[in-house]
Amino acid sequence: MGTKTMMTRTIRRALTALTAAAALLGAAQEASAQEILLTGPLAGAPAVRKLRLYREGRIEVAPAAAFTLLDEYQRTIVVGARFNYNLTDWFAVGLWGGWGGLKFNTDLTDKTQEINAQRKKAFHDRGNVLTPSDRLTAVNMGSNLEEQLGGMDWVIAPQLTGVPFRGKLALFDSINVDADMYFFAGPAFVGLTEREDCKLGQCPNKFGTASRVAIAPTFGLGFTFYVNQWNAVGLEWRGIPYSYNPAGFDTRGRGTDERFPDDRIDDKDRQFKFNQMLTVSWNFYFPKEYRISE
Amino acid sequence: MNKTGIGLLVAAALTALSASAFAQKPKASAPSAEAAPEEAAGGDDAAAGAEAGAGAATDEGDELPPEEESGLAAICKLDPAACPKVDFDREAQKDLREQIYAVQQVFALRARRFELNPYWSLTLNDQFVSHPAPGLAFNYYISNVMAVGLNGNFYRPFNVDSEFNAIHRRAARVQVPLSEYDWSAALNFTYVPAYGKFAGFQDFIFHYDAYVVGGVGAISTRPIAVVDPDNRNFEYKPKVALNAGLGLRIFFNRWFAANLEVRDYIFIDEIEATTIAANPRDDSKWTDESSITNNVQAQLGFSIFIPFSFDYRLPK
Repeated sequence: MGTKTMMTRTIRRALTALTAAAALLGAAQEASAQEILLTGPLAGAPAVRKLRLYREGRIEVAPAAAFTLLDEYQRTIVVGARFNYNLTDWFAVGLWGGWGGLKFNTDLTDKTQEINAQRKKAFHDRGNVLTPSDRLTAVNMGSNLEEQLGGMDWVIAPQLTGVPFRGKLALFDSINVDADMYFFAGPAFVGLTEREDCKLGQCPNKFGTASRVAIAPTFGLGFTFYVNQWNAVGLEWRGIPYSYNPAGFDTRGRGTDERFPDDRIDDKDRQFKFNQMLTVSWNFYFPKEYRISE
Repeated sequence: MNKTGIGLLVAAALTALSASAFAQKPKASAPSAEAAPEEAAGGDDAAAGAEAGAGAATDEGDELPPEEESGLAAICKLDPAACPKVDFDREAQKDLREQIYAVQQVFALRARRFELNPYWSLTLNDQFVSHPAPGLAFNYYISNVMAVGLNGNFYRPFNVDSEFNAIHRRAARVQVPLSEYDWSAALNFTYVPAYGKFAGFQDFIFHYDAYVVGGVGAISTRPIAVVDPDNRNFEYKPKVALNAGLGLRIFFNRWFAANLEVRDYIFIDEIEATTIAANPRDDSKWTDESSITNNVQAQLGFSIFIPFSFDYRLPK
């Protein structure tokens, strides 16, 4: 009898605890967000009224500079522009393009070239007698590493842009800036320069470069901060994954899974890179007047 | 059965309590309730100002109950000198000089709250060795915009020597000195200059803030032996590290937020010597220079604010 009573009590206590826990969980959900009024005068109303429609029906012209990230041998600044026609306030079709003529060596390139130059000088000083290092790098490095580096020369990317998030930003509790966050994607046509192909036996004397066009997906996200009715500052991150040979080295082609050098330069030596860049832009919107939603 | 009933009552009380814990208190008057969503997400500032003004007027009206209830008429009858003589029409025509904030009633107040921020960090600037790490930050907000706190990262089992290093060593016959990290800890100060809100798909609203953070602490690192791995075996040593960063916090509710931060840890690192001394076991010759190293990492995590609820000082 006593055992039965104890069991009943235990079950009751457990039920009480479960009820309290359920109430607490329910309470956490209740406390979680801005109230949504399902009835009354706001029923069915949009989240935002009198929204400034910065994009709808307007053309966006955005001169931009993009800075590449995580480069091993060479950093590139792509100077260009983005053109968008905003069909609605949340969807646009457009084109981004740029010229990647501004290139800067990384510290690794400078140090490697420094050692390479010392080796070449020592080779001449010895009366053109090859050391093991000279032989092992003969296919990979000419007199100037900088001249054989691969990189982006230009890029054109038709792209679709979605603008799901629209809001405002308060700075120092006094300046109020309208802002939006957008996502974009499309195919990119990338003009590349990289070390030209060479066959077995030719490579120690062939360190020139050649151009080609790589087609790759491009995608990313960005923020727009509206300065006035027709001007804005933009900041975006972009990924363009594609393969190329960044240093002009012979790295693959022989052995298991072709993971060892084969004394040739060809497409097997291209390395897949998740190329990334940060872009800053100054955006202009035409016509200069925006509409305001209901 | 009585205890079950008590439990249910407690649960009901808790539910009611949490409903009243809404920081944004629902107002009785319909006009002010309508005004709240209209000023969201880039709506007309002038309109927002007008709404705020209207809200303030309503509040004022609420403070003066009808005369018959307050006994104002009775006071005037008893002591005419004490009877308030306010020309409401004239008062209503006066300009309102209220301060209107860019964002009224910040969604999540931070003042006098603790923030617990577990995160996972990823290396942004080291192509040779990546240093992903779990981390934990703990901050106390002295005011709504300023916090002091601690953070730490644990790198040791997660350092990844990139395949690129081997490729470069093999192709160019050049050794790239490498380092790996053990842990870091820092005392930090955080300043939150920017906050705002976004409307998602014109359907829901979420709030965010942006902050700058900086501090001083230590990071424990050691070189990876690549020049003479047969003889060299480095020990981890702590170094003084400064740090600075930017962060973005997106609030899911008033105490829980997703967090993305980019932080640069700056320290002077020891570099492995590229030459081998006559006695290769002489560890004083294993390093020959130091260099300023920037370890830039993205920290992705979430923030929990404690206590979970708070009260606004002023009504909306």
